[in-house]
Amino acid sequence: MRRIALLLLATATACQSHPPLVALQPGPPLRLVAASGVRINARLKPALELDGGTVLHFDSPHLTPDSAYFAAAPTAAPPVSGRRHGTLRLSVCPSGEKICLLVVMAVAW
Amino acid sequence: MTTRREGVVMTASRAVLLVAGLVAVSAAAIRRPAPPSSAGGTPAPELTNASWLNADRPLRLSELRGRVVLLNFWVFTCGNCTRTVPSLVAYDRQYRERGLTIIGIHTPEFPPYAGEHDKGNLVRALLRQGIAYPNAQDNDRRTWDAYGIRYWPSFVLIDKRGMIRYTGYGEFHLNDGDFREWDRRIRQLLAE
Repeated sequence: MRRIALLLLATATACQSHPPLVALQPGPPLRLVAASGVRINARLKPALELDGGTVLHFDSPHLTPDSAYFAAAPTAAPPVSGRRHGTLRLSVCPSGEKICLLVVMAVAW
Repeated sequence: MTTRREGVVMTASRAVLLVAGLVAVSAAAIRRPAPPSSAGGTPAPELTNASWLNADRPLRLSELRGRVVLLNFWVFTCGNCTRTVPSLVAYDRQYRERGLTIIGIHTPEFPPYAGEHDKGNLVRALLRQGIAYPNAQDNDRRTWDAYGIRYWPSFVLIDKRGMIRYTGYGEFHLNDGDFREWDRRIRQLLAE
């Protein structure tokens, strides 16, 4: 509990200084929602890495015309059993900056 | 120079039944890197990559003294990177014979399961994009880290003495403002 509390505190501090780029909504299905002006790279499917080496990939049939970004929130079916936490990895491209950057974060749902 | 990557660890209580994971990095946190503090630049870290394409042997900056070198940190899964490639191909065609060497530093974003580490995939990307200049596979991120790179695509322009003179990042296109600025910088260093 103490560890969770510390993590929540760290998150709260981060949220105060930086608006979030992306949110993971628990669903099901799990859903990645990007903040306004932030595009999620569709050529590198967001991945949720679970214990034991399982990797869940987020996807959506709705892409931008150049197929570079998701035009709708990508989703993934949550694991049917096991712990509800993992490492989320995705490439995001803030449109105004003309770059992509890697986001890696521990998530629980 | 700068730290390698940004990421924020977080978790949330299931009881909240709302957002499980939030955060990451804010666009507001993104800053253009400062230019080198001295007009003479800073020494460019040596390239140590072992796997190369469009080169008959591993390239080393120490062997490229007397040439201007433009490093392009990229990955074929990054749209911002691939949309910038036509500009780099244009520089290569225009300036290679005049002393410019463009080197792609192909640095994957994801672990190997995403396919970015695969040499065959990179070969296909180079063919698809018409890239004839050398590319190093930076699968262990050694060069990325040595240069303190944070974003795809990024650029490092190195003068004939092996000094870093200009750095920057972000997609640009043929004949836009950034293209012209990099063109001006390349011509400046070629003329020195």
